Amino acid sequence: MEYILTVMVLIGINVILATSFNLILGYGGLMSVAHPIFYAIGAYCSGLLAIHLQIPVPLSILMGAGIAMVLSFGVSLPSLRVSGDYLVIASIGFQLGILHVINNLEFTGAAGGLTNIPVLNEGPSRSLVFVLLIAVVAACAVLLVGWIVEGDYGRAITAMRNDEEAFSALGRNAMNIKIVLFAIGSGMAGLAGALYAHYFAYVTPEQFGIFTSAALLTMVVVGGAATTWGPLVGAVLLTTLPQAITFLGLPVSIMAPLQGVIYTTLVIFFLFARPQGLMGGTRGGGGLEAWSASAAFRARRDAE
Amino acid sequence: MSGIVRVEDLHKSFGGIVVADDVNLSFEAGEIVGLIGPNGAGKTSLFNLISGVIPPDAGSIILEGHRVDQLPMHHRARIGLARTWQNTRMFHSMSVIDNMLIATRRYPGESLARILLRRRSVDAFRQEATEKAMVLLERVGLADKMHDMAIELSYGQQKRIGLARALMSDAACLLLDEPMAGVEGQAYETIIRVIREEAQAGRAVCVVEHNISFIRDISDRTVFMFNGCVLASGSVDELTRDSQLTDLYFGGEHPQ
Amino acid sequence: MLTWGILGQLLWTGFAAATYYCLFAVAFSLVLKVNKIWNFAQAGVMVFAYYSLLVAFRHWGLPLVPALVFGLLITLAVSLALERYAFMVFRDRNSSILTLFIFTIVFSEFSVYLTELAFGTEPQTLYPSLLWPVDLYGGIAISHWDLVALTVTAVLMLILYLFINRTRYGQYLIAVADNENLAEIYGISRKRAYGVSISIAAVLITAGMYLFGTKAALFPSTPLQHLLIFAVIATILAGIGNVFRAGIAAIALSLIQAFSILVIASKWQALLAYILIFVVIIFFPRGFALPRKLSGLVRPSGRSAAVAVADATRD
Repeated sequence: MEYILTVMVLIGINVILATSFNLILGYGGLMSVAHPIFYAIGAYCSGLLAIHLQIPVPLSILMGAGIAMVLSFGVSLPSLRVSGDYLVIASIGFQLGILHVINNLEFTGAAGGLTNIPVLNEGPSRSLVFVLLIAVVAACAVLLVGWIVEGDYGRAITAMRNDEEAFSALGRNAMNIKIVLFAIGSGMAGLAGALYAHYFAYVTPEQFGIFTSAALLTMVVVGGAATTWGPLVGAVLLTTLPQAITFLGLPVSIMAPLQGVIYTTLVIFFLFARPQGLMGGTRGGGGLEAWSASAAFRARRDAE
Repeated sequence: MSGIVRVEDLHKSFGGIVVADDVNLSFEAGEIVGLIGPNGAGKTSLFNLISGVIPPDAGSIILEGHRVDQLPMHHRARIGLARTWQNTRMFHSMSVIDNMLIATRRYPGESLARILLRRRSVDAFRQEATEKAMVLLERVGLADKMHDMAIELSYGQQKRIGLARALMSDAACLLLDEPMAGVEGQAYETIIRVIREEAQAGRAVCVVEHNISFIRDISDRTVFMFNGCVLASGSVDELTRDSQLTDLYFGGEHPQ
Repeated sequence: MLTWGILGQLLWTGFAAATYYCLFAVAFSLVLKVNKIWNFAQAGVMVFAYYSLLVAFRHWGLPLVPALVFGLLITLAVSLALERYAFMVFRDRNSSILTLFIFTIVFSEFSVYLTELAFGTEPQTLYPSLLWPVDLYGGIAISHWDLVALTVTAVLMLILYLFINRTRYGQYLIAVADNENLAEIYGISRKRAYGVSISIAAVLITAGMYLFGTKAALFPSTPLQHLLIFAVIATILAGIGNVFRAGIAAIALSLIQAFSILVIASKWQALLAYILIFVVIIFFPRGFALPRKLSGLVRPSGRSAAVAVADATRD
């Protein structure tokens, strides 16, 4: 029973991570590999604040999320003012750089990780309570993203993603939208990280590296970019599948890379065969649709 | 020259190829200027320089009295510039009406704060904007396609939507890049009428087209470009009578 | 105590290490220039190159030349497959840049996991022993590896330079890089140009990985997390489209990293590269030689930098 509850906590965390990543990548069309590091920043900052400054856990969680949101400007501001391509490069630098710092700093526990993080709640049914809490937070995350992307603002996001230059020629400032999406998405990742840290009481740098980045990409691409339910489906699938594989009883040194191979193969397969993901429709979807069959594309090709 | 748009000594080159060679040009309110020339003459590049897609190497661009050549694209658009594109550039995930609504001058609904705090004025604005979009779609003859996905329309239909979209912001200056290419027979007259109406309403319009009879029908003044230079300016008849120019246009060497 | 001897040694060692960085940077920059792709999948190609060389040297015990040929063939096969079955498909479909980015990064991640699965996560070297004969010249230790690396790199760069500037095919590559539609009108096959350019990159990558693997041990994730970073920074610093300058920029970066040992503890040296990314993006996004306009504040542009160069010449 405890095991099932733990898996449900993980599903909840992954739903928050995937939904927030979908906001940035699927809806915003912003390529960033740094989502795991904002997850890490939330976890580490919240943990450290609670340990060293004795800040009450609920407050430290919020502060962790806030710090993640503020640090996102460190990536978006320098790179987005140049061009969208540079965001991916800046995010690579940020992800690898901060990870390197966490891995080598005594203060964060270096490679061994941060231990003895105060938990959010205690008691005999702490897991159950936490599951309920996570469920509420995850639901709010999905609703928040849904609210952001509907209506006029959602139309602006879509237009910006479809054709940023034409969007700018209409008098819109694409950069503001990108910065907002990146900040909100990263803040949500930080929140997920802080919640994780105060449940499991222990985090290591390994959890925030390229493996997580591959897993998140898989959740969004396979689930369906720029859809409400896609990240949810992706998160559920990708949290439960590895649990199923553990029952095969393979040695750990095979398990991790095998999962990695499966994740990355899935992403590549979907990119070619079904870019709109499991939940995406064939028209009007996220930034990954192949619209080669469209009339305009044919016209443009013929006109040149 | 006091025009709505003034281009002075504009110069731009890319790795040895000069796309704008100290160009001087101006468009006034209420006039339609035709821009013709063979492929590679620099016509679309000029539009790209004026609208801000590419920055100039030297020279200045003045729009409604403001010096804009160092400003980003969206800033110039807000001062009073609207353009259409050779390959329509419809937003492919949206319907026709959404493509129109994204082009308004003001956009209170595109701010999260305002959606939260000023719900009613956002809704009222959307109502106004939708009505305006309907009127414009009606004028170009595509009101019935309002809810279709813009990308599913034919090339010519998308051209017409592009024109209607450019009119949503009431910009003082309109740059139309091949607005007639692909436009089917009956719609031809409609589009000519719309462009004339907009000029009469006081806009400065510049049209790039290869269809010479269209340019003759519509423009008050025509400019011939070649190799990034403005070679001649006058009426279409004057230009076509000049055998040197017709040689360049129809039989001339490619600039590149 | 800082002596000329130490500085000289650092300079020499920095130069020698710069060789493979130079090769990787030129490869990355060339593919960006001609194929118009930020090829983050290069890290994956580097992994395939390395491990095929590893199999040839350590598992099959092949002598030098057959092993290199084998490694080169595998690298060529992977590179050409990438170009033909991935990049070309995405181009034909007019896929978004986002799709390309995701694909290239995920491909590299895939390569890392595949090799971890097949070879384990322990670092491996190409030769059982990394000890090369060392001679002393005027107090500076010069290893035979250094000489091999410098010679190989210099020769490859010279051949590439002559190819690009003196042969017709090299000029075709430049034509396609500048304006691929116009090049097609003049009868130059775009696809072949893309294939040639990525093949050249494959050669440089194989050479670079051989040099690296005979000097140090490689983890499957090293190309993605360390080696490629310098290539990317160098490409931006040199200005997009300047392939040889990217090689020079890589050498400069390598020297900076070598000399940084004087001021930074070794465990923080890797951080230098990541910090440099931000320095370059903030201060030199268009390359090191700034235009005459203001420095520091570059006008935001929504276009991909590479695309802008390409269709600027289109009317």
